[in-house]
Amino acid sequence: MSGEHAAAAEDVQRSHLVALVGLPDMGPARLRLLLDGRDPVDAWEGLRRGRIPMALSSRLGRRREEVVARWTATVAGTVVAERWAEVAASGQSVSWYGAPGYPAALLDDPEPPVVLFATGGSVAEGAADRPRVAIVGTRRCTAYGRSVAVELGRSLAAAGVEVVSGLAIGIDAAAHLGALRATDGAPPIAVVGTGLDVVYPSANRDLWERVAEHGRILSEMPPGSGPTRWCFPARNRIVAGLADVLVVVESHAEGGSLHTVAAALDRDRPVLAVPGPIRSPASAGCNRLLAEGAAPACGPDDVLGVLSLLGRPASPVLSAGEAPEPADLGTDARRVLDALGWDPVVPDALAARTGLPPVALIAAVAELTDRGLVVETRGHLERRGEERS
Amino acid sequence: MLATIHAATLHGVSGHPVRVEVHVADGLPAFTVVGLPDASCREARDRVRAALESSGLPWPPRRITVNLAPTGVPKAGSVLDLPMAVGLLVACGELEPGQVDGLGFLGELGLDGSIRPVPGVLPLVDAVEVPGMVVPVANGAEAALIDDRRVRVADDLRGLVLALRGDGEWATPEVAEPSPVDGGGPDMGDVRGQRFARFALEVAAAGAHHLLLVGPPGAGKSMLARRLPGLLPDLAPDEALQATRVRSAAGEALPVDGLVRRPPWRAPHHGASPAALVGGGSGTMRPGEVSLAHGGVLFLDELGEFAPSALETLRQPLEDGTVRVSRAGASAEYPARVLLVAAMNPCPCGGSAAPGGCRCPSTVRARYVRRISGPLLDRFDLRIAVDRPDPVDLLSGASGESSADVGRRVASARGRAVARGVDANGALDPAALREAAPLSEAAVRRLEAELHAGRLSARGLHRVRSVALTVADLLGRDGPLDVDLVEVALGLRIDPFRSEVAGVR
Repeated sequence: MSGEHAAAAEDVQRSHLVALVGLPDMGPARLRLLLDGRDPVDAWEGLRRGRIPMALSSRLGRRREEVVARWTATVAGTVVAERWAEVAASGQSVSWYGAPGYPAALLDDPEPPVVLFATGGSVAEGAADRPRVAIVGTRRCTAYGRSVAVELGRSLAAAGVEVVSGLAIGIDAAAHLGALRATDGAPPIAVVGTGLDVVYPSANRDLWERVAEHGRILSEMPPGSGPTRWCFPARNRIVAGLADVLVVVESHAEGGSLHTVAAALDRDRPVLAVPGPIRSPASAGCNRLLAEGAAPACGPDDVLGVLSLLGRPASPVLSAGEAPEPADLGTDARRVLDALGWDPVVPDALAARTGLPPVALIAAVAELTDRGLVVETRGHLERRGEERS
Repeated sequence: MLATIHAATLHGVSGHPVRVEVHVADGLPAFTVVGLPDASCREARDRVRAALESSGLPWPPRRITVNLAPTGVPKAGSVLDLPMAVGLLVACGELEPGQVDGLGFLGELGLDGSIRPVPGVLPLVDAVEVPGMVVPVANGAEAALIDDRRVRVADDLRGLVLALRGDGEWATPEVAEPSPVDGGGPDMGDVRGQRFARFALEVAAAGAHHLLLVGPPGAGKSMLARRLPGLLPDLAPDEALQATRVRSAAGEALPVDGLVRRPPWRAPHHGASPAALVGGGSGTMRPGEVSLAHGGVLFLDELGEFAPSALETLRQPLEDGTVRVSRAGASAEYPARVLLVAAMNPCPCGGSAAPGGCRCPSTVRARYVRRISGPLLDRFDLRIAVDRPDPVDLLSGASGESSADVGRRVASARGRAVARGVDANGALDPAALREAAPLSEAAVRRLEAELHAGRLSARGLHRVRSVALTVADLLGRDGPLDVDLVEVALGLRIDPFRSEVAGVR
């Protein structure tokens, strides 16, 4: 068989896969059972006649007939080539399990995504086989968590590490933001739970576009898929699978990040957690992970150390160290800054710690806010790390 | 065989004069009341008859007609019991017309002939245009507030008849037990720490700026709010009379001497209906909580739990200082100038408003926050976050100034507002404010930055300026408002519901 023929066969397979993944009620697990080593073309033709593998049939349970009927009807009404043309026109690239360019890290995954869509030219990894670190955490983060995530993302990217995260708001966004900020850094990788043409959450649109431009966004969901309850936990397993190391920056006691931790442990990936104040609910999950044996991530060096143990050397970076303290602060502002820890407080607490009368306190806080050293959220004040765009 | 007695009926918080005409004629024995009496007013027939018989007075077995003029105005309540009984006694010759000449009567009768207090005596007495008034003994102090009136009190029908005939003494006004409303309320001196929140209370009191406290349970929101009335100055004489009228009309307890001098404190439960908040009711019109708090503090605890429809009805009274309630049958206007203080949790889980401090999904919190409309939130000039005090801060935090000390500063700040022609700076309109509070150049630049950033509306700008003026008054500063005062006003006006999304980029 000539190379031209092989390429043509590959295109046919690819277009059928895209059509399969776009079927209604089709999720990653069902698709895996449906294919299970079969040729996508055969699976598609089987569906046309209402035939599905035994394993999938028992998995569908009572809804089997209803679902299969819907699939058969959709298959009958779909022109595979048209569907493929739509995806091809959107500029997304497609890869599938076992195909060239499919991420090697996912090949021995217990639940590998059957299909991966990616922004840009190819799903494949960059030229160099770079180490990858997943940075995840809560959406409801504090300024502390945000600044740590930005700092980790920046330092690791500068060290040539690909930062993997989920493009959610909060820690995820901060990690990507940091990675993008590194000069000549490794490109960030985002794994999202929606189709690549559905920007979710829409608040992250700018960031989404910048990650797509400088790095890659991956998804196992076909174009047009909106956010659903299950797609984010499913996405988390890919984040864990792609990365060599997982770092949790901030997590509540029952946070979604702990799903990613569980997935990483299933895949024997080392998990690091950033310690946080014991009073901060946003760090409760992290502190418990530390108690249960996760290694502490007190800076990029900790993460790089684990990578080198894994035989994935990255170029060392200078330690982040302390944020530079501005020299020319007013006396009151200096007192307030000293009294302000990294966990958010209300002005009452600052008044008690500094003894400043309210009017002087507000003036000092205004000065610090103006200098970008303090940020106010819903009446709570917290120090602000190096994270401004 | 005809007698006319002067009395009054209550309508909203004002009285309407009523002439009770009693006609006794031959015919089948009957007792009819005409002239739009409501149910309790019509039942007066049975009370009057029983009271007369219990008092050893004759009940004429004849045809009795009572007309309540003007006949077009609905009459409510039992306040006309006594006028009917006196009219009947005159009509059947037990009393001479001359003995009741120049007197008006108000009161409810018990079956034993006792004369019982009625709500709204102050506006009622005000409405009757005769030189002398007879009121129940328990209402004596209140009626005496209308000072150009000869007020007499009576405690039972028999004694009243004897006194009218000149055969007995008038009852002596009773000295009531001091009622709890006399107490000054808890003192600011009890508050430990929380200096910033105390300062917000001081500004609220000095400028009559509405205040919203946002914080988790246990942060001391109610405790702080409860201390606000103690910072306010005594009510001005006309305001005191208005507040007394409202309270009297609602049948609420009055202070010993009858006049409400201290700012009232009302804290309706969050189950309150729109009618309970602003007044109304289908039959008898009753003033709502916002009117009962007239001149004082209306405290809405758990603001997020109030029905949104109920909260929205408050917007107009907060703006105008009066409530006009219209029903199919009637309409009434109540005074409603209040200092609104509200407290709420930042979210349903009761966690902290601090970033990362709550475990509610963002959708749950968004739904909770939607209950407070933007226009309502805009009514709060002062919005601050409070939190459970840090145990360390709590122990080191010295107890602060007493209410009296803070109250003196508040009074002097209010004095400066009075010189501008208003009670407090919160009431200044934009034109007056521009004149009273010019801005320094730096302050203008600061406010422009806020406006450009979309954090401030035109209305918000006006409110920030008025708060800054109040702070200047409290500090005793003159001249144009400088940027530090604007910072204070902005620092006291947080957005309590800003989501984290905004902070990502």
